Amino acid sequence: MALLEKLHRRIVDMGLVPRIITLLPVISTLCALFGFISITILPMDGQYRRTYISENALMPSQAYSYFRESEWNILRGYRSQIEEMVNMTSTERNHLMGSWLQEFGTKTAVYENEQYGETLYGVMHAPRGDGTEAMVLAIPWFNSDDEFNIGGAALGVSLARFFSRWPVWSKNIIVVFSENPRAALRSWVEAYHTSLDLTGGSIEAAVVLDYSSAEDFFEYVEISYDGLNGELPNLDLVNVAISVTEHEGIKVSLHGLPDDQITDNDYWSRLKILLLGIRDWALSGVKNPHGNEAFSGWRIQSVTLKAHGHSGHDITTFGRIPEAMFRSINNLLEKFHQSFFFYLLLAPRQFVSISSYLPSAVVLSVAFVISSLNAFINNDYAKITFFSEYNLVALMVWFISLVISFIISQVFLLVPSAVLLMTISLASCFLPLVLSEKVHISEPLSYRLKNVAFLYFSLVSTSLLMINFAMALLIGTLAFPMTFIKTIVVEGPTEHEMHTKLPNSVKIEPEDEIELIKHQEVIVSEKTQQKLKLKNLLLLILTNPFVSITLFGLFFDNEFNGFDIINKLVSAWLDLKCWSWFILCIGWLPCWLLVLASSFGSKSVVMKSKEKQN
Amino acid sequence: MASTEVKVALGCIAVRLAVTYLFPSLQQQLDQSVEFSTPVTSFRSLQEGIYLLRNNILVYNNGVVHHPPILVFFLSLFNSDKLISLIYASIDGLVAYQLTKMTKAFKNLRIKIWLPGLLYTVNPLVLLSCISRSSIIFTNFAISSSLYFLLTGGNVVLSSVMISVSGYLSLYPFLLLIPLLGMLKNWKQRIFSVIISLLSLSFLLLFSYSMLGGESWSFLTQVYGSIVSLEKVFPNLGLWWYFFIEMFDTFIPFFKAVFNIFIAAFITPFTLRYNKQPFYAFILCIGWIALTKPYPSLGDAGFFFSFLPFFTPLFGYLRYPIISALLFLHAVVLAPIFYYLWVGLGSGNSNFFYAISLVYALALASILVDLNWAMLRIEYDNGVPNFNLKVTQI
Repeated sequence: MALLEKLHRRIVDMGLVPRIITLLPVISTLCALFGFISITILPMDGQYRRTYISENALMPSQAYSYFRESEWNILRGYRSQIEEMVNMTSTERNHLMGSWLQEFGTKTAVYENEQYGETLYGVMHAPRGDGTEAMVLAIPWFNSDDEFNIGGAALGVSLARFFSRWPVWSKNIIVVFSENPRAALRSWVEAYHTSLDLTGGSIEAAVVLDYSSAEDFFEYVEISYDGLNGELPNLDLVNVAISVTEHEGIKVSLHGLPDDQITDNDYWSRLKILLLGIRDWALSGVKNPHGNEAFSGWRIQSVTLKAHGHSGHDITTFGRIPEAMFRSINNLLEKFHQSFFFYLLLAPRQFVSISSYLPSAVVLSVAFVISSLNAFINNDYAKITFFSEYNLVALMVWFISLVISFIISQVFLLVPSAVLLMTISLASCFLPLVLSEKVHISEPLSYRLKNVAFLYFSLVSTSLLMINFAMALLIGTLAFPMTFIKTIVVEGPTEHEMHTKLPNSVKIEPEDEIELIKHQEVIVSEKTQQKLKLKNLLLLILTNPFVSITLFGLFFDNEFNGFDIINKLVSAWLDLKCWSWFILCIGWLPCWLLVLASSFGSKSVVMKSKEKQN
Repeated sequence: MASTEVKVALGCIAVRLAVTYLFPSLQQQLDQSVEFSTPVTSFRSLQEGIYLLRNNILVYNNGVVHHPPILVFFLSLFNSDKLISLIYASIDGLVAYQLTKMTKAFKNLRIKIWLPGLLYTVNPLVLLSCISRSSIIFTNFAISSSLYFLLTGGNVVLSSVMISVSGYLSLYPFLLLIPLLGMLKNWKQRIFSVIISLLSLSFLLLFSYSMLGGESWSFLTQVYGSIVSLEKVFPNLGLWWYFFIEMFDTFIPFFKAVFNIFIAAFITPFTLRYNKQPFYAFILCIGWIALTKPYPSLGDAGFFFSFLPFFTPLFGYLRYPIISALLFLHAVVLAPIFYYLWVGLGSGNSNFFYAISLVYALALASILVDLNWAMLRIEYDNGVPNFNLKVTQI
């Protein structure tokens, strides 16, 4: 403490305090900039690490893989039958597949969900285990692009047949055929943990297969791993998948990187994968799910393997990836716990851990705290007592905007009309401009509103830091321009006193320490005011959560068209229980509403604190 | 026309009942959260005790129930769930009532009379603690009653009785007898108060003994022994549990003694130092116990904060209120998240939650330290605030 005391005294001696206070907005912006820069530093040599298998028991590719040419014919046989299944109903398809699975002793059952269709699954009991743990091989009948998953289904059944003849398994193997990798698979996973009769113990890991062509050859494998709500599978599982794939001589693509960029490994390629990774992590579930998302939330580690291209490696090579992965997972004696749960990949074999990337989002959150502090002390109203009406009203407005935001989030779950939401959002941005003549708030209130808004936002972003880093970074970045919105002083307090909500009560209570005094200051000229108003309008439009996320989707992701990101946010919650919609509505929107309220024309109030008498 | 305090109390009850009614599942969720429910205050174990009592099974034989016998007996009288919510809400309403009455008793306080009561009503920590039906609110009620009787009517007898009730309910508040003695006028009153509180405490214990019939004194170890010795090493916001998880068995008794002494050690110094502001000493002691007790919950901190509006003149002297407030806010928001990362998702571990409980302790400690500074500073100014004077510690 003594050191701090000394530092504090030195700072006071040098007269730095007032200077620091006037510089607060700059410091806040610098903090945010530092956040972005520290992200771009990560792909530089020396900042990242090479991945490694942390759990020694995994031993990927140490055992010889036997899923080879001898199985190819069986696979082809199944495939030629599956090709005819395209036109069958899902019941017929599942019935036929179920009968195949039963041929080699798999117990099968069909989970029926009225909303999302039927899901066939089979449990193969472990010859060597106690049956309390399981590994899942999931094959959606139609993949994320709604193509019939012919190769995947053929691989699924022939792998199941292949696995069933082996005595090495110490964990049950569950094969799942769901209608799609989205809600259907998710509903099965949920039912598995709640209501299904035929189960095979706790699921340790899941591998989703996506091989939509009917061809024998493919070129490279895309591995997807982002889970819902910021969850990632343990890095060990991702490492096993990557190392097994590369061991087979296949190139690995991450985050949809096209074929010609896979082998690049320089600063820009790493930065690209890093940024794509953050985007996909933040929008996971909102973007078209690959299948591994469905397993989030039950301590299941899962990845999706997707085959791309038409030439190069044969389909049994693709089958050897899940085979070797299952052999590795089979070795585990405990749940995945050794390696990282929070990481960002820069290349298939390079990563940064949480301690390296977290500071960027932390400083972004700090930038909001500083902005909040700036609104609190960097004006003439810093001396208002804690229990003054301005503070209480600001807190009340915050509470009201929280309630409004909650109502909006619920209403648009029922009526997911993106156009309506956009219209309302844009229209409300113009409110301060349209009503500038009629509605005024007092200047201290405007500052207090901003103070509460940014503090709330920083709290939201801090609480997201650990649980959903990418989301924290994304909304922090998109919402940051909000801190540039200025309070516009329209006029002094004397003329429109009847419109001011607050100072009246101040006058009634003579014992209060604050007193209204006639305002003398010169008001900023009309022209600059107009300019400020337009700037505020632009910033308000840009930082509206819905407008902002739509623009982000349009510019940085080619999956979204028009306003459909809003509909996808809503359906992500309804189908997959992905919180992103609520983070936007309850985390970001109240803050924006407060800032909107604060940008109404305000009237200055001159404060004078009375001498206290005790 | 009802008086302010009745309005505040009714408002307080209404808010609690409304929240219970609007969010029926909230009670169970909160009762399962480590922030609001501890093994010694949780409603689940209280219900277990009620069940055992009703079926004539030995209540304190199975190591589940740590609530004092009279409380279990009292709540077993009520069958309906709604009635129990009403009781909890009313207890909180009474506290709000007493707070308002106490505000009236301080003539030179420059705050609105309804303010402390209103803040108690809307304080989310207290509100949620009440909704979770944590039995801590009975203790809080006893403490606040003790202050109320002394400050409004000067009733030494009832005040001492209520302190022993609070001690009976959760042991450590009995230490508040010391600052209470500081609030009394002369030694005659003090000796009287000590005798009364000891008598009433022994009466309560004897009554519990006779009520339990065949169970002899086993409730003493179950109710108080489990608190003193941190029998259940459960994660909570306190400083104790993490410390005792991995300790060698031989050291455990020693450090448990140290931790207990630590709680008691600061009570007398606070009382002696602030002998001119005994009420202040009392509140600081409440804060100190909330910081150092083995099974703290957010209800303790919320109760402590409810008394801070009485000291508004000191607020100008606080050196880092923003830092303390931010620390506390972040600790409260992050604690459930880190607990979820540890227990729910499995991607975090116990260190996450313990780190945040350290932040929580730091926040409470910095508030206490700052309050101390503020009072010493106003003493230096002889009660007339002079914010321009720069004083520094040597």
